[in-house]
Amino acid sequence: MKSVVSALCLTLASTLAVQAQSTLRIRGSDTLGAKLIPSLAEGFKKQGGKISFDIAAEGSSTAFTNLAAGTAEVGMSSRKIKPDERTLCRAKSIAINEIEIAWDMITVVVNKNNPVTDLKKKQIMQIFAGDIKDWSEVGGTPGPISVYTRNTSSGTYKDFMTMAMKGREYGTNSQKMAGNEQIVSEVSSNANGIGYIGYAYAGAKGIKIVSIDGAAPNPAAVKSYVLSRPTFLYTNGEPAGTIKEFIDFCRSPAGDAIITKGGFVPLSQMK
Amino acid sequence: MDRPETPSRPPLRSLIVRNRKRTVLGMDPQQVIKHFFGANASTAVIVLVLIMVFLLREGVDFLPTYRHELETYREAGLELCDIADRPLKEQQNLTSILRRAKAATTDPATKEALTDAEDAFDTAIEPATEVLDELKEHAQETKELAVEFNTLESSRQQLLAAAARAKDPAEKADLLKEADASKVDPVDFSERIMPLLERRGELATALIDYTATLEKAAAALPADNPLVQEVRAAVPQHVSDIKQAAADLQAWKQDRPVSMFSVVVAFFFGKQWITNSSWQDFYGFVPLLTGSFVIAFIAILIATPISVTAAIYTNQFATEREKELIKPIIEFIQAIPSVVLGFIGISLVGNLIKDISEWGILQWVPGFPIQERLNMFNAGCLLAFMAVPTMFSLSEDALNNVPRAYIDASDALGATKLQTVFRVIVPAGISGILAAILLGLGRVIGETMVVLLVAGNRIAIPDFSAGPGVIFQPAHTLTGIIAQELGEVSRGSSHWQALFMVGIVLFAISLLVNWCARTVARRFEAHKA
Repeated sequence: MKSVVSALCLTLASTLAVQAQSTLRIRGSDTLGAKLIPSLAEGFKKQGGKISFDIAAEGSSTAFTNLAAGTAEVGMSSRKIKPDERTLCRAKSIAINEIEIAWDMITVVVNKNNPVTDLKKKQIMQIFAGDIKDWSEVGGTPGPISVYTRNTSSGTYKDFMTMAMKGREYGTNSQKMAGNEQIVSEVSSNANGIGYIGYAYAGAKGIKIVSIDGAAPNPAAVKSYVLSRPTFLYTNGEPAGTIKEFIDFCRSPAGDAIITKGGFVPLSQMK
Repeated sequence: MDRPETPSRPPLRSLIVRNRKRTVLGMDPQQVIKHFFGANASTAVIVLVLIMVFLLREGVDFLPTYRHELETYREAGLELCDIADRPLKEQQNLTSILRRAKAATTDPATKEALTDAEDAFDTAIEPATEVLDELKEHAQETKELAVEFNTLESSRQQLLAAAARAKDPAEKADLLKEADASKVDPVDFSERIMPLLERRGELATALIDYTATLEKAAAALPADNPLVQEVRAAVPQHVSDIKQAAADLQAWKQDRPVSMFSVVVAFFFGKQWITNSSWQDFYGFVPLLTGSFVIAFIAILIATPISVTAAIYTNQFATEREKELIKPIIEFIQAIPSVVLGFIGISLVGNLIKDISEWGILQWVPGFPIQERLNMFNAGCLLAFMAVPTMFSLSEDALNNVPRAYIDASDALGATKLQTVFRVIVPAGISGILAAILLGLGRVIGETMVVLLVAGNRIAIPDFSAGPGVIFQPAHTLTGIIAQELGEVSRGSSHWQALFMVGIVLFAISLLVNWCARTVARRFEAHKA
């Protein structure tokens, strides 16, 4: 009887150990975690990576809280780590290691029936800050502008503020949407809507990309587009073992293909 | 001799066994069950108390934290910059109208005049904004230094604490060294403010100059256009605002203390809820409160007639078979998860309202055609739907509780059925119906998922100047803001505490509504007697 119990315990323990070793917990940004990282994980498994993934995407900040709490091996973030987050991790004896993974282009979109195709950078700032209130002011059909932004928890919210608006506040007429998909569906249903989304979502129906100062987001010319930004993975110390294999895969040609397909720009293309 | 002995002395073994069966922890089964039930009841009370304690503990620090932030806002001179910045922003409004007027006009001469006017407006403001921008930059730098000092100081404390915990001496030394490296001097606000104070005279002069050029430019505006008239009418107010600001600049003092009272006012009566800002976070409660109230008002306005008339019908006119059909169906609505309703609101109700609003024959309705499919009216409709079961069941109970004798008496006096219903039954059950409405209100105010998905999440006080059409504007709510922002804020920050304060207020509102409902219902109990 005793031997049976102990044998059971042993098997259970060993399965648990195997389980723990082969599960990679990834936490963080919605921009990365909604589509890109899962498809990279899928690709990694297909080419023989013996590992299971546990991915949750609830905003860039959760990457660091989870790393600090030891509940994630890899954190994804659409922005750089903040100093206080670095200290938080350091205080928990986590040595933060930053790995650039891909570039994203924040894309300004309007309803597909909107005659406006190009906006100046200053006009974009004025629209999102609430100074320009009517489409006729920028050469469109008269009608009040509805501004859709991400919510304050998003890394993109802040990035857009710094990159496109010189750090000014969003106007009080802006509506805060939970994610890229919601912005797409509101802009596509509202003839006077404008919003910004990750380039990966820009192919959706009912919306139209607006070029900024004549330059449309283009994977071939990322650095010259004003709203380009790098995205990152964070690990505890130098990646090793399966984590390293996975990250190497992400930066391999096979990974590049997945990244391109996902609407991001691989690093190899940046050079 | 044997017989009397047997009952007085049962066999020892059976006595022990029977006793053992009966007692658990020295109590008989009845007592055990009683205590079990009692414990369950008290758990509910204890949990409620714990929730209140938890909310208060997290939220109560908000006022001091916010006060400290507002102090930094003042000491770093950000407030000084905002005195000039707020009225200057109005200029953007004026040029916006001018641009619209320019787009609307077809006459090339007017167009040119308007282009000139817009240029004149823009060049007029330039000297003032130039000075202001420099001041803002300096003030922000001061604030960042202060924030950096605070973060470094708290991170130093964290590192020291980690060092105290560390077992490995090398790691300990490392941590201590890092802690030492993050030691900085606190910011000397009174010194950092000097450039701002020295230049505020310059800024005030620039503002006065701006008003003079602006008035000149406004006088040169072409006259025939209604939009231009609007600008012309707004200019005097704008000019006097700017002049006021110039005077306020001179009167501003860095060391004026921020009183606790003003912090409370800033929270409960603040009109701005700005978070994650690079300039200054403001936690003003009014936009969220108005959003919640307007939505709740719409919901109750829609749900009350539906549920009360349905209750009257079911209670007084329906046949038994109808009753068996209506009651379970209405009560079933309660079983629909609110997130499902939210999806219906986005995909179905929103589009429906929008399409209907574009019908030609309905253009007399204020606010039509609507632009946003996610708006307060949409959220109100869905919440009304959710509140109907609660209000229906409780109103029906209230009508049921009207004493039979009242109805018989009314019948005996020869009243018709309708007369009995409206003159006797409804007045007798009115306090129960009111309680039902209030409890429905409580349900509506606390609902989160639907408003988060459907209300449009615009953090601004609805523009009531639009008249009744205001209900087709988007808004944000007390519950929605907690759900949307709590996931991301770092624990213990002012933003976190502000959200808990919102939670406390929400809790208080719910308690108040429920208390009102109970009070009203108690009056109704008296009726029954």
